[in-house]
Amino acid sequence: MHEVSIAANLIEIVSEQCRKDGYKKIESIHLKIGRASGIMTDALLFAFDAIKTDSLAKDAVLMIDEVAVSGRCRDCGRNFTVEEEYVLQCPICGGASFQVSGGRELDIVDMEVS
Amino acid sequence: MKVKVATKILEANDRIARENRKIFDGAGVFVVNLMSGPGAGKTSLLEKTLAKKDGLRIGVIEGDIAGSDDAERIEKFGAPVVQINTGGACHLDANMISDVLGDLPLNELDLLFIENVGNLVCPAEFKVGEDMKVMLLSIAEGHDKPLKYPLMFQESSALVINKIDLAPYVDVDVSKIRKDALSLNPGLKMFEVSCRTGEGLDAWVQWLKVTAGKHRVS
Repeated sequence: MHEVSIAANLIEIVSEQCRKDGYKKIESIHLKIGRASGIMTDALLFAFDAIKTDSLAKDAVLMIDEVAVSGRCRDCGRNFTVEEEYVLQCPICGGASFQVSGGRELDIVDMEVS
Repeated sequence: MKVKVATKILEANDRIARENRKIFDGAGVFVVNLMSGPGAGKTSLLEKTLAKKDGLRIGVIEGDIAGSDDAERIEKFGAPVVQINTGGACHLDANMISDVLGDLPLNELDLLFIENVGNLVCPAEFKVGEDMKVMLLSIAEGHDKPLKYPLMFQESSALVINKIDLAPYVDVDVSKIRKDALSLNPGLKMFEVSCRTGEGLDAWVQWLKVTAGKHRVS
């Protein structure tokens, strides 16, 4: 729902680093977006293309890796990954004691500049 | 040329949130980020809380897309209040809060409520510098909400279930709300209240006083 503000934050961060490192142009940006982050990939791509004009990222394309929700069960000690955006119980043993470790990412990994 | 960035997209917001938090801590004020869908009763809960506050000094930041109706309601209780209009944005962010901190007598407050924009999705993503998040859900919204909007239930320290007086009139399973919310967040503190009849409000205000009080001592 707030993909536009996420896209604006993204452009600000990469533009600043691009300038600081002395490059002129951003060609692509590699992101990791967790499935439980509340961000829709399609909406983010749309928002990014709509507001990237006039920035160092105006010709940049986004490459997005979606990250599934994952965690570790304290009862059975095993690691798991789920299809849903949330975990209610360990999908292996049904235990209620687990730690969610992945799926909330909204990370910029790296970018291609020139 | 490939260059590493390795930054969280929300890092700029998180940094300002940490600065806000430092200012709040310096002033000794405990800050609650109050979140819910539109119409769940956030402002009503604040009105009822202000009426029962005893010695607790409470201030409020009201976040709305437009208008100042909520701030006017709070002002009637003599509490310091600032209205933020987000002009369309679906949530408050740390920068909006930072901009209005000078308009509140923080040193004279024990507790500051930040009433977020009515929305069950986005406010959970953006830290504003709060000590804790509290969410409100009215039972008329239905018992499917914890599983449809899991992030907000996971991020909150307490869940206030409002409009409990409507239970005989709506097809809602309140025990399912409690069960699913607890599955998502086993440490979640829950209250069932009615801002209309006053049911359950004493327990909520008492808990708030103890929680805010602990913060001041520590």
